[in-house]
Amino acid sequence: MWATNMSTKPEVWQGTLALMVLKTLNAMGPQHGYGIARRIEQTSDNLLSINHGTLYPVLLKLEQEGAIASEWGVSENNRRAKFYRITKAGQKQLASELTQWAQATDIVARFIALKGAKA
Amino acid sequence: MIRTLRRTWNRLLGSLRRNVDGDLAEELDSHIRLLAEENIRRGLPPEEAYRRARLQFGSVESTKESYRDQRGLPALDTLAQDLRYAFRGISKNPGFATVAILSLAIGIGANTAIFSLVNAVLLQPLAYKDPQRLFAVREISPLFAALGPVGVNPVHAREWAALCPSIEQATLVRGGPAQVVGGSTPMSVPGARVPHNFFALLGVEPILGRTFVPEEEQEGNDRVAILSETLWRSRFHADPSLVGKLVLIDGEKHEVAGIVSASFRPPYARAAEVFRPLALSLEESTRRTGNYNYAAVIRLRPGFSSEQALAEINVVQARFGKGLKATLMPLHELVTGRAQRGLWMLATSVGAVLLIVCVNLANLLLSRITSRSREAAIRTALGASRGRQFCQVLTESMLLAVSGGALGILFASWTIKLLVAATTLDIPRLAEVRLDAAVLAFAFCLILLTGLLFGALPAWRFTRNQPQDALRAGSHTVTEGRRGLRLRDGLISLEVGLSAALLIVAGLLATSLTRLLQVDKGFDASRVLTVNVGLAGNLYAEPASCERFFDRLLAKVSAIPGVQASGVITALPTQGDTWNDPIYLEGDGRRREERHPVNNRYASPGYFRAMNIVIRQGRAFEESDRGRSVAVLSEKAAKLLWPGQPNPVGRRFMGEDDKPKTLVGIVAEVRAVLDRDPPPTAYYPYWQRPPDGVSLVVRTIGGPLTVASALRAALRSEDAQLPIQAIRTMEEVVDRSVTQRRFQLTLMAIFAASALLVASLGIYGVVSYSVARRRNEIGIRMALGAQRSRLLGLVIRQGMAPVVVGLAAGVAVALLLGRAISGLLFGVQPTDPLTIAGVSVALLVVGALACLIPARRAAGTDAIAALRCE
Repeated sequence: MWATNMSTKPEVWQGTLALMVLKTLNAMGPQHGYGIARRIEQTSDNLLSINHGTLYPVLLKLEQEGAIASEWGVSENNRRAKFYRITKAGQKQLASELTQWAQATDIVARFIALKGAKA
Repeated sequence: MIRTLRRTWNRLLGSLRRNVDGDLAEELDSHIRLLAEENIRRGLPPEEAYRRARLQFGSVESTKESYRDQRGLPALDTLAQDLRYAFRGISKNPGFATVAILSLAIGIGANTAIFSLVNAVLLQPLAYKDPQRLFAVREISPLFAALGPVGVNPVHAREWAALCPSIEQATLVRGGPAQVVGGSTPMSVPGARVPHNFFALLGVEPILGRTFVPEEEQEGNDRVAILSETLWRSRFHADPSLVGKLVLIDGEKHEVAGIVSASFRPPYARAAEVFRPLALSLEESTRRTGNYNYAAVIRLRPGFSSEQALAEINVVQARFGKGLKATLMPLHELVTGRAQRGLWMLATSVGAVLLIVCVNLANLLLSRITSRSREAAIRTALGASRGRQFCQVLTESMLLAVSGGALGILFASWTIKLLVAATTLDIPRLAEVRLDAAVLAFAFCLILLTGLLFGALPAWRFTRNQPQDALRAGSHTVTEGRRGLRLRDGLISLEVGLSAALLIVAGLLATSLTRLLQVDKGFDASRVLTVNVGLAGNLYAEPASCERFFDRLLAKVSAIPGVQASGVITALPTQGDTWNDPIYLEGDGRRREERHPVNNRYASPGYFRAMNIVIRQGRAFEESDRGRSVAVLSEKAAKLLWPGQPNPVGRRFMGEDDKPKTLVGIVAEVRAVLDRDPPPTAYYPYWQRPPDGVSLVVRTIGGPLTVASALRAALRSEDAQLPIQAIRTMEEVVDRSVTQRRFQLTLMAIFAASALLVASLGIYGVVSYSVARRRNEIGIRMALGAQRSRLLGLVIRQGMAPVVVGLAAGVAVALLLGRAISGLLFGVQPTDPLTIAGVSVALLVVGALACLIPARRAAGTDAIAALRCE
């Protein structure tokens, strides 16, 4: 489902993916790419299966925007890995995006409820 | 918003950063390993674990690609790549790059320097308020028809201002020297007499003090002065309290009323540093005819055209005399007028030089592009778009243009400094010339244009390659197609044509200057020293005291050892057609304005000997003539008074002072302006009307400058307060009057020589390139028995064909444009066959030489080697 949607509506999903990345980093602290991907999959109860590769352009974009920062570290299996952490700007961005997202889902939910009542 | 900016900035940085691909690869690799290790932990065999991991990750390459696209700015990346290629391409060929950059630097530098001149002198508005409403007026009198428009009668100017509704104000100017005592020594500076409204009319405010008031135009009240900022700074230490104080001018105390800015260039008295009120005598302020001795400037009311104003002025003029008219000229044209045509000629020529440089580079690049046709074909085959390839080749030429241009701007700034330092040059507003923002903007546009001009054609050719043909042709064995050759030949013709036109113009100017310097001036300038002597102040208030001064001075000077002859005259030859007043026969019933004006000069007896002016009849005046009214006329002046009389010596006529004179001799014509026919001239002994300023001329026996210090001492001993001006040789004086021509000629010669050099380089480049490309063909011809001499002929013939075509076109252009420069020529027609023939021969010889070197190389080809080289 993820993969097919990626190809048709990448922006929408990329936007959402960015939100998930920020939320994950905010909740768990510094993580490498693998950790972030895994965590997103786990959070979604594996309903979302990500093509892990699609994560990297999103990480790059967030880093260019200054929402996250990265540095090289050592992973749990003693390998060199790049760790990402959320920045102050990123936390602000996350908060505002969460509000927006909540509003959006709220509105959509209302419409769905409306439809259900009529039917 | 901030986020987008930040991202763009980071992407910009990303474009500049190097070698981040490695980091990404490592990051992705570690990700896949982590995935695989988890799979192993789940119990999959390692191979299967890695396969699954790669599946889960998706395409590594497409991740890298979209990562790369986002990392930098793609346009910038492309540009950076093109620039890298361009650098590589240029550094592979340092010889070509040096020639290209240097020729561009010279072309762009020269254009920038000339533009800065054109900009300051012609394009920038005058520092006056609303200059488009300011006009210079001159009167046209039917009696002085031969002289063209003359100056203005002050009464006429007053009436125009009073009666013409379109005229807001009219003002007058009369230039003349002023002797100022500032500090300890007196000095003579250019000055002007102006009415009180002069500064207001031009819209100029003094930087200190005030301008004149109407009352100061009364005789007796006119002892006030306005000084230029330059004089104020150089002589009075920029003392702000000078205003209101008294300074000594021409021996009289004048109150300093104000200081005007150094940038103020008064019309008709460009260099004036002292302004005094114009107080007209009763005679002058009532005299309705003649007295065309003032310059006039008018300001029109807003909304009126110069045609309207002229029509109104001419109505007023008709009241003063039958046929009396006027002419208007925008003030800007007056200030720049004389320099205008010469400057435009220089600007056009220097533009042509740059065009030649461009054409030449285009040609050289075309040759290089043809040899890179395989590269282009391979690129096209690999999928590079035409636009992309076009841009890439263009980047190369832009890089050359920018490098050359930067160097050129450097050249230009040196050249401008040199030009401004050459102060003898009579170019108006020269001091305002500088490398300012406008000039830099011009240079920048020029660089872009140049890069496009010489880069576009080769770049276009580069993309027009048919990949199959180019790949199949194998590039070495086949003689190039006709199309490419024809294009390059056409460019050579263009270069040669432009060079021919420039050479012809330079040749015509050179002939003009030579003819001008060789023209019969009427005097002999060699071994003659001159110095201007101006007398002013109380000491010389009486004409008799001036006379005594010159008597004593001449006696002293003639006693200096090494002096052969000496004399004084009120105005030196070649220094201007001045003091035009009529002479006539007693009982001449005509009105003053109808009589013949001649140049009037007061001189000492020794003057004619000192200048070696030939005496045609009778004698020069002598000391023994003191007390008698005598005069000497030039041949033309005598003919005016006594047409058809072979020997009028001994007859009487009325001099410029309306007193009878006896003609004692007739002398040869002397040029008052070097490039104009000599005017009729009358000479009177100086004691008849002792002048307060003369030029002393001294003919020396040995080298003229050995006498200079003795001359200076003689002047000093006569009057220690006298400002001593520069002592020059007469040759130098004459030479200074042709400075502008010399300047034009020098620049044109430089332009034409560089054009010729560039064109010959171009011919050489194209011919030698085609010989190299045709090595194989030549080898076959030789193997088939072609004679060396025939091969030589073949190459030269083919190389010279475009030269001949270009030469013909260039000569045609020069013939057409000749009329435009005829005003700059002297004693030579723009169609001068000798100049054109000379230029043609020179160009053909240079062209043939440029062909000969590669042709000999072709003829020396070893057939076997040429064929085996494949």
